[in-house]
Amino acid sequence: MKKKTLGMIVSLSMAVMLLLQGCSGTKKAEVPFSPKYDKDTVFSLTVAGTYGNFESLEAEFERFYEYYPNAELQYVTMDDYNNVISSALVNNEPPDIFTTGSWMIGNEAYDDMFKNCEVLSDPSVGIDYSCIRDSLIRTTDSGDVVMLPIFTTSYGMLVNMDIFEKEGLEVPRNFNELTKVCADLKSAGYESPVMGTDMFSGSGLFNCFSYPMFAYDVKNNSDKLDALNNLEPSSGELMRPSLERLYEFVNSDCIDISKCKEEIADEYDAVIMRFFEGDVPMMLATGDVASGTAKRESKSEAFSANPFKYRFYVAPSGDDGGYCINSVSLCFSVNKNSGNIDMANEFMRFLISSKELGNMAGLKRLIPPVDDFSTNEIYSALADIPSDRSFSDKETGLLDPAVRQFRAAIYAVGNGEMSVDEAVSSYGSIPEE
Amino acid sequence: MKRGLIITINLLIMGFILLFIIGYAYLKAKESNENEIAAFEKMTVTTNQIITNYLEDEQHLCDIWTNYINRSAQDGSPMTVEEAVSFIRKAKISPEIEGHLIFPDTPEREGVSTAAKVSDPDDYTVSYRYIDIFDNIENERDTNDAVSLTRAYTNPMNGVQSIAFYNNVTILDEETNEPKKGLMMRVVPLSRLEQKLVFLKGEYENVEISIVDREGNYVVHGKSFKNSNFFEYYKSYNEATSEEYENVIKEIAGGTGTMTIKNFKGEDCILSYTPLESMTTWFLLAYIPADNLVANRSIDWLLLGIATVGFLVLLIFNTAVMINYNRELSAAAKQANQANEAKSSFLSTMSHDIRTPMNAILGLNEMVLRDARDENIRMYSENIRTAGNTLLGIINDILDFSKIEAGKMEIINVDYSTASLLNDLVNMVKKRADDKGLSLNINIDESIPTILHGDEIRIKQIIINILSNAVKYTKQGEITFSVSSKKTENKPDSIILKVCVSDTGIGIKKEDIDKLFVAFERIEEKKNRNIEGTGLGMTIVQRFLDMMGSHLEVESEYGKGSVFSFELEQKVVKWNPIGDFEEAFRRSLSERENYREKFTAPDARVLVVDDTSVNLTVFVNLLKHTALRIDTAESGDEGISFFKENHYDVIFLDHMMPDKDGIETLKEMKETADTPNKETPVICLTANAISGMREMYTNEGFDDYLTKPIDAERLETMLLQYLPKEKVTVTSNNGDNDDNEETEDNTLPAFLYDIKELDPDAGLSYCGDAEDYIMALTLYLGSAEEKAEEIEKYWAAGDIKNTTVKVHALKSSSRAIGALELGEFAERLEKAGNSNDTEILDKELEILISRYRQLANELEPINKV
Repeated sequence: MKKKTLGMIVSLSMAVMLLLQGCSGTKKAEVPFSPKYDKDTVFSLTVAGTYGNFESLEAEFERFYEYYPNAELQYVTMDDYNNVISSALVNNEPPDIFTTGSWMIGNEAYDDMFKNCEVLSDPSVGIDYSCIRDSLIRTTDSGDVVMLPIFTTSYGMLVNMDIFEKEGLEVPRNFNELTKVCADLKSAGYESPVMGTDMFSGSGLFNCFSYPMFAYDVKNNSDKLDALNNLEPSSGELMRPSLERLYEFVNSDCIDISKCKEEIADEYDAVIMRFFEGDVPMMLATGDVASGTAKRESKSEAFSANPFKYRFYVAPSGDDGGYCINSVSLCFSVNKNSGNIDMANEFMRFLISSKELGNMAGLKRLIPPVDDFSTNEIYSALADIPSDRSFSDKETGLLDPAVRQFRAAIYAVGNGEMSVDEAVSSYGSIPEE
Repeated sequence: MKRGLIITINLLIMGFILLFIIGYAYLKAKESNENEIAAFEKMTVTTNQIITNYLEDEQHLCDIWTNYINRSAQDGSPMTVEEAVSFIRKAKISPEIEGHLIFPDTPEREGVSTAAKVSDPDDYTVSYRYIDIFDNIENERDTNDAVSLTRAYTNPMNGVQSIAFYNNVTILDEETNEPKKGLMMRVVPLSRLEQKLVFLKGEYENVEISIVDREGNYVVHGKSFKNSNFFEYYKSYNEATSEEYENVIKEIAGGTGTMTIKNFKGEDCILSYTPLESMTTWFLLAYIPADNLVANRSIDWLLLGIATVGFLVLLIFNTAVMINYNRELSAAAKQANQANEAKSSFLSTMSHDIRTPMNAILGLNEMVLRDARDENIRMYSENIRTAGNTLLGIINDILDFSKIEAGKMEIINVDYSTASLLNDLVNMVKKRADDKGLSLNINIDESIPTILHGDEIRIKQIIINILSNAVKYTKQGEITFSVSSKKTENKPDSIILKVCVSDTGIGIKKEDIDKLFVAFERIEEKKNRNIEGTGLGMTIVQRFLDMMGSHLEVESEYGKGSVFSFELEQKVVKWNPIGDFEEAFRRSLSERENYREKFTAPDARVLVVDDTSVNLTVFVNLLKHTALRIDTAESGDEGISFFKENHYDVIFLDHMMPDKDGIETLKEMKETADTPNKETPVICLTANAISGMREMYTNEGFDDYLTKPIDAERLETMLLQYLPKEKVTVTSNNGDNDDNEETEDNTLPAFLYDIKELDPDAGLSYCGDAEDYIMALTLYLGSAEEKAEEIEKYWAAGDIKNTTVKVHALKSSSRAIGALELGEFAERLEKAGNSNDTEILDKELEILISRYRQLANELEPINKV
């Protein structure tokens, strides 16, 4: 028992170390939060976002009340968030804090939104975000930090460990092993050993399988980055290895795409609930999806009746193994039009610490963006990824349009709508969703 | 009661009171809570009404818009989109409220807004493509609902959380020039609805109002409700089975009510719920932490704490005071005990010390009585004896009482002769009764066994006390002393001895009867001040009877007389009946008229040791006529020296002597090897006249004991027992040995032989000699008229019992003087009386009395003899 626990601690430590890659220099010691204002200050703050539930944030509200008992914070889910947030920031009842995504940087649709963001890197604001890994910090063109990462995620797959144990198989580490294991699983009666949601999104099965491999190739061919970001068709050639591997994958015994389409209706709930049916050895998913598993265990009658152990692994798409890409899942920004701008910044000052971000990530089952964090046991397998194949998406330098073109390419190839050659040659003009 | 027990009882009472307070407080708190919860629920219903009113108002305004637009359509000239929106812009007053004219069937679910986008002041188009409020719009409302309302959503024009009231409108499609269906939405910021709930803050500080749809999704979201769905929230923080979970959903959907749920902190919270009247698919939830509604209970606990501390302080204070009082009481009790012991000791010592000189007084007086021939001196001497005996009785009472008080009194059972006991009793009281001119009737059951087992001395004391009282408190009339026995049912070897003393004395008032048994209390002290007594007699009687398992029964009629009776269980040693006690007593009485020594023993030698020379003188004089050789010693040591030198047949040794007391002297005597008195019996002389003395003294080595004042007859009897038979010459009845005795003359007056009713020879044989016979006749004559009158009086009063007793007495006395036929006649009537045969008595009693009087008349000359 002790040996197992020790092994787990070592693994987690390694995972932490690996995920810390890219963090620059020596971090200064964190100063515990100390309220800047009178604790009897009466104020209310609204945090707006896309999450239907945000219990990990609500837990932080409660912790914040310990310092400001007269505060009243609430989280509001906004409909049509991406379209509405810019207007919401300037209306009569604007949110004080709101969620943003790193992909919004560089997207002109959000220029107005960013104009209304508080510059968090302004020393007068007093937010020390040094605990956050530098590789995850996004800045505007002018170098201002207007969003701070709260959660990070990765791309990979949920693995039903009980099935592998039952069938006497090891979780595959590279593509070759994957095909072999899938053959064994198929012969054992698993119709589609790998499943996932066939959707045009970051959580889509093709993205989870191929994007880390593509990002790895981009990172290692930085000379072609600008062409990719400029959507130059010739640069589409860089997609070829990952597209070919995807083609090989979807046409193997590993996955039945039609079954995936039929049985998994969305990119979140349905993915988790289908996985909890207990007959899917590997479910391609993002860390965001994995974060929803804990709450849904009790909702699944099948899982409640026959619970099993599961872990998050990177997809073994490479010949030498899988790739671990750590990307920002969610950021917080402060509305500079907030009626309580000082207290909004105060809450951010409270939240941006290893302790609080770690707490949130722990509750949310996501990976915290800080140097000093304890991740969930579910991510323990990430520790096995060699350091050269583990990186943050910022290191790729890819902008959102390029990412979306790649996503359109894999969606088309994966669904047989395009050949690899067509997709490569159509880069820059591949129809998106 | 021990201190620990008192404290325990106090703590128990405290505990009970505290439990009662807790129970009461809990009950009240529960009641209060229930009231609070009911009030809270009522508040929810009130809130519901407020919201309903508001929603209906808003819906009404929305309907006004749509009615206006639709009226145009109904009139055949439907408005264009622009006209409709333009109308609404004019109609709406508040800038916060927008009108959205939407065409849900279009791909973008787009339409036109009355207000431009915040992000683009020129853009009035509105799209609900990404806002799923229309997906289940028909399911969202009941067809009977007065309000058509969307869930809370983000207004796509300005990003404000809003709700929208809607109604269908008909608009002119400008492209086709045909009417088309659209949806007119009155979009209201959610904050306006929330403002309607602000008033509640005054009444319930921490109340939070939420509105959820039938799936539990929040329309209005309370601060404390985590999650986006109330039912999810409930499931997350309340350990409920799926069945319970379903029940909660059904309950909330089922109507108005209240339930207790846990919040995310695990605290109990009160949730009141009610469906919105205007939109029954929405539910109003009012949430408040339970401790906000039950705050009073903490005050109860505070009070309880104060009460507990107060009780404890009171207990400690009372205990301290109690301890102090107890200490003082203990000291007082100790002093009282010491005083009581001193009193008892004093009384005991004093009694003893008085008895010793009394021994001398009564002993010497006895000498006077024996030797005096002058009638006056004899009379004085008799008075001394009477007074002395009275004083002795008082002393004995005090001595006994002090022993009872000290718990030293014990019942010592011995075998005793019933006749002897009764004899002593009658002897003691007869003289006193005669002296007061009272008639003493003795009614002794002939079947009483001769030898019984019990505490003879105490029984005697009890009866003599009762009899003495009867004599003391009876001025005239009679005292009847009755003793009877009956067999016990369960104990074949025992009898119940019933003793009854009735008198015709002053009687006792009912209210005074209880005072009889109070020590030193005398009834009607003033009236009876001339009657001697300590007030202890009846107390001692009652205590003795208690100790023997009996009690004294008292019946009394004030001014007429009293009856004292008791029953005692006594073991029977010899069942032989004692027979006619009255007859035997009369005979013994005549024998005792003059003293005559029982024996002479000139060769016997007796040693008497007593530190009081007068006692020695008395002792010697009492035995003067026995010719005994008596040596006297005034100390233990002197006695021992005599003991060593001379042989004695009996030694009398006083117990209480200075320097060396009787017991020490005896011990030394027993240890003396060289003495001729190895086998000589030693008898203890003691003033401690209580039961158990025999055992005590025999245990110390004495052969017997004799109480002081010394009774001459007992002394002689004892000597007869212990002196060697060969040295004793018993004196015959004819008094051959009495030098002083006059020559006997048995010649009777001749007239006696002429009395037909009388057989003088028979009488002489009964009485012994002529002198006694003449005395008996004189006594018979002297009391004849009185007794005849008594018989007549009782008969006239219908008192058959006492008539029979008197006839019985007449029978005995007549036989004793030789009036045998009269005796037989009386016996026949006695039997008739015993069998209640009043007919015979009625016929013959008069004849009997007539013959009795006739005999008395004929005996008149005897007074001249």
